[in-house]
Amino acid sequence: MTIQLPQAQAGPATRGPAARPGRDGNGFAVQHRRRLLRADLLTVVAWASVAAAVALWLSDGGLAAAATPAGAVTAAGIVAGLVGMDLVLLMLLLAARIPLVDRTVGHDRALGFHRKLGKPSLYLLLAHGLLIAVGYGMAAGLDPVSEAIALWSLVPDMWLAYISMVLFVAVVVTSLVAVRRRFPYEFWYAVHLLTYAAVGTAIPHQFSVGGLFAEGTWQRWYWAALCLATGAALLYFRVVQPIAATNRHRLSVVRVEQAAPGVVNIVMKGRALDRLAGTGGRFLIWRFLAQGMWWHPHPFSLSAEPVVLAADGTGTLRITVRNLGSGSGGLVRLRTGTRVAVAGPYGLFGTAARTRDKVVLMGAGIGITPLRALLESTPFAPGQATVLLRGHSDRELYLSHEILELCRLRGARLFHLTGPRDKGQSGWLPDDAVHSGYSLTSYVPDAADADIYICGPSAWAGNVIADATAAGVPATQIHHERFDW
Amino acid sequence: MKTRGTVAAAVASAGILLAGWQAGTQAGGTSIITATGTTAEGSGGASGTNGSAPHSATTKGTTSGTTAAGTFTGAAVQTRFGSVQVQITVAGGTITDVTALHLTDDDRKSIQISNRAAPVLRSEVLAAQSADVQTVSGATVTSGAYLTSLQAAIDAANL
Repeated sequence: MTIQLPQAQAGPATRGPAARPGRDGNGFAVQHRRRLLRADLLTVVAWASVAAAVALWLSDGGLAAAATPAGAVTAAGIVAGLVGMDLVLLMLLLAARIPLVDRTVGHDRALGFHRKLGKPSLYLLLAHGLLIAVGYGMAAGLDPVSEAIALWSLVPDMWLAYISMVLFVAVVVTSLVAVRRRFPYEFWYAVHLLTYAAVGTAIPHQFSVGGLFAEGTWQRWYWAALCLATGAALLYFRVVQPIAATNRHRLSVVRVEQAAPGVVNIVMKGRALDRLAGTGGRFLIWRFLAQGMWWHPHPFSLSAEPVVLAADGTGTLRITVRNLGSGSGGLVRLRTGTRVAVAGPYGLFGTAARTRDKVVLMGAGIGITPLRALLESTPFAPGQATVLLRGHSDRELYLSHEILELCRLRGARLFHLTGPRDKGQSGWLPDDAVHSGYSLTSYVPDAADADIYICGPSAWAGNVIADATAAGVPATQIHHERFDW
Repeated sequence: MKTRGTVAAAVASAGILLAGWQAGTQAGGTSIITATGTTAEGSGGASGTNGSAPHSATTKGTTSGTTAAGTFTGAAVQTRFGSVQVQITVAGGTITDVTALHLTDDDRKSIQISNRAAPVLRSEVLAAQSADVQTVSGATVTSGAYLTSLQAAIDAANL
């Protein structure tokens, strides 16, 4: 069943920020070029840090020491350790929610790189331990096992390094298993806290055992600065900023109202909410400070622009939540007045990712709700936006009345795509639309010249991406962020 | 655009590696000189073997004979931090001086440790007149190799 709303007759965009200076014309193209430049710079920094880790060893006359077989094995071990630790630091930085990284590659791509580095860094650290034991053993005339025991018992801080190795193996293996088996978020989180112990126990031996970082060397300063900067970034962006944001906004629950069966709107009041304006689509991490709930972080987007009632930013905001899993279920019973801790907004699923003046918003199920807020705030001229909502029936097109109203007001085309899924093919459209031969370009003929925001279940989103790619939409214009992690 | 990032990253990395390598070839030279400088302390063995790296791991006295007098060089003992070789000066059947011809110097840390351990070991050996002395804590490997080489030199001197 497909409903098309004729293009709205509301003439000038009276409330839309379409006329915001710098955003009209080719504003988004400029924004896109800048983002690509930042992405390239981050790539350079990441690779340069790996090269610098090797250069530290080279600059200490490492090649000269690698002349003998034992020296060569030891040298390979040292380089593996340096590069491995550098990758671990990069992983920590990618997970630190640094705004520069977030605005450039987005939260889920940053975490994608983080995951990709997991196995290589573990292999390098294992190789480091193994090669050093063999290399030292060759020089001292011992077998690697005896050498490893000698290192453990004789050399200060080495026992910590052994513990670190065990922790690293535990963290990476359980992460891989946890991802595959879909362990609860809390388990995965607890495992990741071990990472700090793993890194913490690895650091002492780097400075006390390796001659490379002996006191008075510039290499020691560089390495210490690198470790400290990473720690400071984690502390600031993951701990200090969330506490500051919670303190700034002082959010508390005003009411929980049913939006649809199994779906609730949670309305909160707070201060300085003007600072959260225009963040539609991006997600925030919410903690409801009630018994049994405070430790459970929920990543949700706003489902509407904050309503600011006073000059100091006092007002209300709203999220829309479906009963997903054990954590979200309890949200239905939230009491009025419950304090709320908040962090964010995070992610690139918003106006900051725009590359074109035209925009297409495609949502399915509960994935519709972030698009509702994005539709309200992202700039476009009347006629340049299309909204496609997908659900089994009209009941699953959450907030569809509000979206209809916004489309009228701002001049966007709206399609309701309801009905059962096509069984045979991997389509994102309802059965009847597929049989009619429809695809993305049937609804959005100029899709190739638009930014496409996709929010919904991963399988559905994957099908949309495939269709959009087939329609000639470049990958840089396809915006999709996982929201089910 | 992705190629731009990749190329820039490759160029930057190559530059950093080159700079590191360049610094390394210079630093490598100085570190060896420093090491040789530290081993040159002591009065006894003013022989020509001082500067050259001792390759032979065999025991050889520079003056052989049944009467214990002269300088005797111990075996070069390999460790993971570099080789260690000592020379003793013997007069009238007693060790009058111990000279380190080469000490662990693979890296700055080893040089630091060697510089600290060598004088301690030398005075202990001169007092005990044997290789049966305490190792210096924190310099276990260097001490062990030092005393092994020393024992070889003592054996060569038939003390």
